[in-house]
Formats: sequence, structure tokens, C-alpha cells
Amino acid sequence: MATAVFHQALGTAQSHQHLQNSGSHLEFGNASLKLISKGFKVDIGLSRRGSYSSWKKKFGVIQASASQTSVVQPVSYPPNNSSDELRKKSSEAALILIRHGESLWNEKNLFTGCVDVPLTKKGVEEAIEAGKRISNIPVDMIYTSALIRAQMTAMLAMTQHRRKKVPIILHNENEQAREWSQIFSEDTKKQSIPVVTASQLNERMYGELQGLNKQETADRFGKEKVHEWRRSYDIPPPNGESLEMCAERAVAYFKDHIEPQLLSGKNVMIAAHGNSLRSIIMYLDKLTSQEVINLELSTGIPMLYILKGGKFIRRGSPAGPTEAGVYAYTRSLALYRQKLDDMLR
Amino acid sequence: MAAGALHRSIRTIQLHGGSNDSASTKEFGNSSLKFISKGFAVDVKFLSNRSRSFSHCKMHVIRAISSHASVVDPILSTSHVTTDFNQNTSIESSLILIRHGESMWNEKNLFTGSVDVPLTKRGIEEAIEAGERISSIPVNMIYTSALIRAQMTAMLAMTQHRQKKIPIIMHDESVQAKEWSQIFSEETIQQSIPVITAWQLNERMYGKLQGLNKEETVVKYGKEKVHEWRRSFDSPPPNGESLEMCSQRAVAYFKENIEPQLQNGRNIMVAAHGNSLRSIIMYLEKLTSQEVTNLELSTGVPLLYIYKHGEFLKRGSPVGPTEHGVYAYTRNLALYRQKLDEMVQ
Repeated sequence: MATAVFHQALGTAQSHQHLQNSGSHLEFGNASLKLISKGFKVDIGLSRRGSYSSWKKKFGVIQASASQTSVVQPVSYPPNNSSDELRKKSSEAALILIRHGESLWNEKNLFTGCVDVPLTKKGVEEAIEAGKRISNIPVDMIYTSALIRAQMTAMLAMTQHRRKKVPIILHNENEQAREWSQIFSEDTKKQSIPVVTASQLNERMYGELQGLNKQETADRFGKEKVHEWRRSYDIPPPNGESLEMCAERAVAYFKDHIEPQLLSGKNVMIAAHGNSLRSIIMYLDKLTSQEVINLELSTGIPMLYILKGGKFIRRGSPAGPTEAGVYAYTRSLALYRQKLDDMLR
Repeated sequence: MAAGALHRSIRTIQLHGGSNDSASTKEFGNSSLKFISKGFAVDVKFLSNRSRSFSHCKMHVIRAISSHASVVDPILSTSHVTTDFNQNTSIESSLILIRHGESMWNEKNLFTGSVDVPLTKRGIEEAIEAGERISSIPVNMIYTSALIRAQMTAMLAMTQHRQKKIPIIMHDESVQAKEWSQIFSEETIQQSIPVITAWQLNERMYGKLQGLNKEETVVKYGKEKVHEWRRSFDSPPPNGESLEMCSQRAVAYFKENIEPQLQNGRNIMVAAHGNSLRSIIMYLEKLTSQEVTNLELSTGVPLLYIYKHGEFLKRGSPVGPTEHGVYAYTRNLALYRQKLDEMVQ
């Protein structure tokens, strides 16, 4: 990524994943990941069929080189220049994790889980603040959960980004949604950052506790039980997920969809929730279940990881713009920032 | 609705919406509308099962009186109705229409259509501004399009609302999505405002012009053609919708889903787009196709209609909080506002 500061983003990532819980026929909908890049091949040959405790997962990745024709399908074609090749070979990629800020139920102290509750004014400010902190870090793709509070956090944060590429949310619900969201200009596609929404990145599902406040819950179930559900690794609340179950689906999604992007040199931002992000960090930092239980993620404070040589290096929180000094996390990032400065002069 | 200013909101709304385009068997999922209210029955008896040119909608409404039981399943089975919530003669409801503010492609002067582009900083401010203007007008349900810029506009606007109920986005993409978003507290459900997202409220689909800028388009297709597509009623851009086509699906949705709510005294907010809202206004105000092509909607400025005796009364734009005077649009709204003033002591 050294000199290719303005490396072109992937035109579109159509996320396509099919998850089936054979036990109770839960379905997430259809998803398959297609990456298409023109001019050079993105080496993302991943095809996995694995079994996880109760999940059956199936997805395929298609690599293709497309020629330059008037396009009906929304993919972007980065120009075939040597700086892109260079970027690919150096294969260093930035990964930003952002936990959304205060939601309207946080404010009321209610268990939220997968209920789709929006941000408060404070949550909106936190998102914008987070955006300022990452305004100089390249972002080629964005992944969020299916919940509005994470999506808004991502979109609000990106209004602060200096590069001015435009996040475009991909729609795959059905044929019409795909058709209707097509883009017909090459230039425009190049200036786009695909945003993929995935329920696998949702907050941990809290079952029968969703919507209850802490007092109500302690009354109904007993204080000890509640403490156990909240703080244990593998004990789920009634009809809900344990942290372990949440981790399984979130990390599986990360490994199957996000990690390949990083491996190919794409810089990724993930906007999600406390438990789904903790799960991913557990994987990145190789934490034990004991350690992950004690891991607290600040809201609205982005965390930066660098993937290099197949390893995730933790770089903490990017400094806010008003904080002293120019903190370069890596040489590539420093160059990127410099180019931005030059560009925006 | 006078005394019921703080009338209990619907306990739970599980919305299943179904529309089938028979021409190409596109499916947007199955829908049936269920209303359950505790303590008193809400006279929401409507059952519509019609075929329309594009859509086929089926709605069932279940009235129920529930007892004060601790509920595990938020959907109660129906029981007979005893009391009516309101005498039909005095049912009055407010309808707020908000067009979203500046999107990132507006800023770049690109044709957006149904591409899912987020708001700019300015668009965010416009949404918050709009929220301030409607902060004293009751909202029981929110409808938005499937696009993030309208959803964000709605959520940002509601952060300014003085009443403290919480918008909750309904999910019915799949069985799992429905299950995962269930709420298990009576009280919490009562404090919720259901938010329904509908592609039928999307911006007019602009076909092959999506993503092009105005110069590009004129060069490609010629000035006259472009003018025709943009300003005519029934001339669609290639692979796109004409304003007429957009109206058909938007107004059909409004009549089948939103109007019945208004008929039952629910106060509705619709956050959508220039063309989908114009279409609805065409219906509300019985405009001709000539009149509607000349209708310009300001962005981020809410429009208020009062639905009374089956008629829509146009009440213009609610004043901002800093604007002079207490403008009561109707007696009910004045009483609602007063209650808010007392409540927030």
C-alpha cells in the first residue's frame, strides 16, 4: 500500500451468505460474496465448507477479470497501474473497529440485544467524533451489522473522512433491490466505498431479556442468574445467545468475508456492537474466554489493527485531530495521510 | 384524540408486508399487520385484500384486549372487542412528511435514484433541524424508504422529539430477523414507536442514469431527452421509472398501509424522497400531473397534514422552536403540546 495512497476501492462487494441452523430452520437470507476486479486479479480464492457446532455454512467466492464494457453490474474497475500491484504485494491492510455509541435504550438502561434501537444525540456525537479520529486512515470497504445504530455510526463517521469517497450500501434482499441499486458510471464507482450489512455482526441476541430493565430482570429471574448470563462465556439467557454463540457467528463471518479482503490489501472498517466486536478481538488478539469476558470496549472510540504478514497487530486508538503530533501507525498510513494533506491543500 | 394525547401506543407491531409483482414474481416477503393493544381495543378493523397494478397486499388486523399479565410472547391471540378507543366522529390524526436532506451524491451533482447513498454533514443538520420543527407534534408510527438517507433522517429527527417514546425498526426479512428483534417487556413495547421500512417509498428509480452526473448524461443522451426524463410525468429514463410509475407504487403503498393507520387515529411520520413524497402529495391534494411536475419539495422541511373526516388538510410547515408564537394547528395538537410542556417539568 506504500505509494498507492489512492488505491481504488472495490466497486462492489455483493455479500451473499447462506446460513442455516438445521435445528430450527433459522435463515439469514441468501448471501454470496462476489469480488470482481478489472485489470488485475484479486487473489481471494476462498471456498470453504465447514461445520460449526450447529451451523452449516456455504459460500463461494468468485474471482474474475472483467473487460471494459458498458456495465450493468455495479462493480468498479481500478486502473491497472503498477502502484496497485505494489500495494497488493506489500499486503498491509488497516482494520478499524468501531463500537456504536449510546442508544436510546442504553439511556433507559434496558437490555437491547438485537432489537433495532437508534442512537441518542450523544450517540450521534460519538459517531462523529469517532469519524474525526479515523479521518486520515484509508477505508476501502465497510461492514456493519443489520441494526441501524451501527449503520448510522458508520455513515456519520464517514462524513468526517477526508478522502471524500462515498459509502454506498449494497442491497441484496432480492433481484429488484439489486437491480434498483445499480450504478452506471465508471468514475462514480471508483469513488465509492461498498458497505455490506450483515446480521452476523449483530449484537448478541438477548432472548427474553430484550426490552427488560435490570431491575425487572433481577426481579423476574433472580440476581445471580442475571449476573451469570451477563458475565459468563457460555450460558445464554432464555431463548438467547451466550457470548460463545455470538462469537461463533461473528468470527466465522469475519474469517470468511472480512479477512480475505484484508489479505488482499483492502482496508476495512467494521461498525458493530460490544459483543460482536469483542468476539472478533478475541480472534485477532487470541484471547481466552476468561480474558474476553473482562474485555470492555469503549463506545465510539475506534480501534486500529494492522494486518501484516498474516498477523494482526494492535495499534490502539487513533488520535483525535486536535491531539498533538502526527502519529503514523505505519509508513503506508503516514504516506496516505501526507497525500491527503497534499490533495486537500 | 383530545384526551388521549398520551394515549397508549400500540403494544407491538409485527409487520409483515407482502407485495407481489405478478409480472416478474418479485417478492418482498410476506406481510400481515397485527395490532394489539392493552386495556382497550383499538378499532382497527380493516382487512384489505386487493390486487393492484403492481402490488398485491394482504393485511390482517387483529384486535385484542389483553389482561394485565406478564407477557412472554408479545403477540397475544385475539379476543373480542368491547370498547371503542375513540368515537369515530372526532378522529383526527396528523401526518408529517419529511424529505431527506443533502446526500453525498447531491453534493457531487450525481443522479442518485435508488442507489443507497448516505447523508452529508449538511444533510444531518437538516434532519436535526426538521426534528426540532416537529418536536411537539405526536408521532405514533414512522414509515421510511429502504434507503439509509431517509432512515437516518427519521432517526435523527426523532432525537429532537420531546416525547420520550423510542423508535424501533421492525424487521421481518426472515423468521430469524423477526425472532431476534422481539421485545419482552409490556411497558417497553408501549414506549415504542414502530418504524417500518418500505421499498415502495424509495426514490424514483433512475435506471441507467444512476451515478451519472448531469454533463455526462447530456453528452450521452442529448439535452432534450434528459430534460424530458427529469421533468415529464410519464417518460422514464432507460431501464428506469417515470414519475408516473413511481407514483403508482408509492401511492398504492400509502393507501393500503398508511392511510388506514390515519383513519384509526394514529399519527404518522413519513420520511422519504422527493419523488415518492411528491407522488403522495399528488394524492393528498388531488393534483394534476402537470401540477405535480412543477411541485418542488424543500429538503429537510417537514410538511404537516391533518387527516380528519376522511380529508387531508394541508397545514404547511410547522414552525421552528425559535420562531415566534405558539402555533396550534388544531386543538388536539395544542393540547398535546401542552401535555408535553407539563410532562417535561
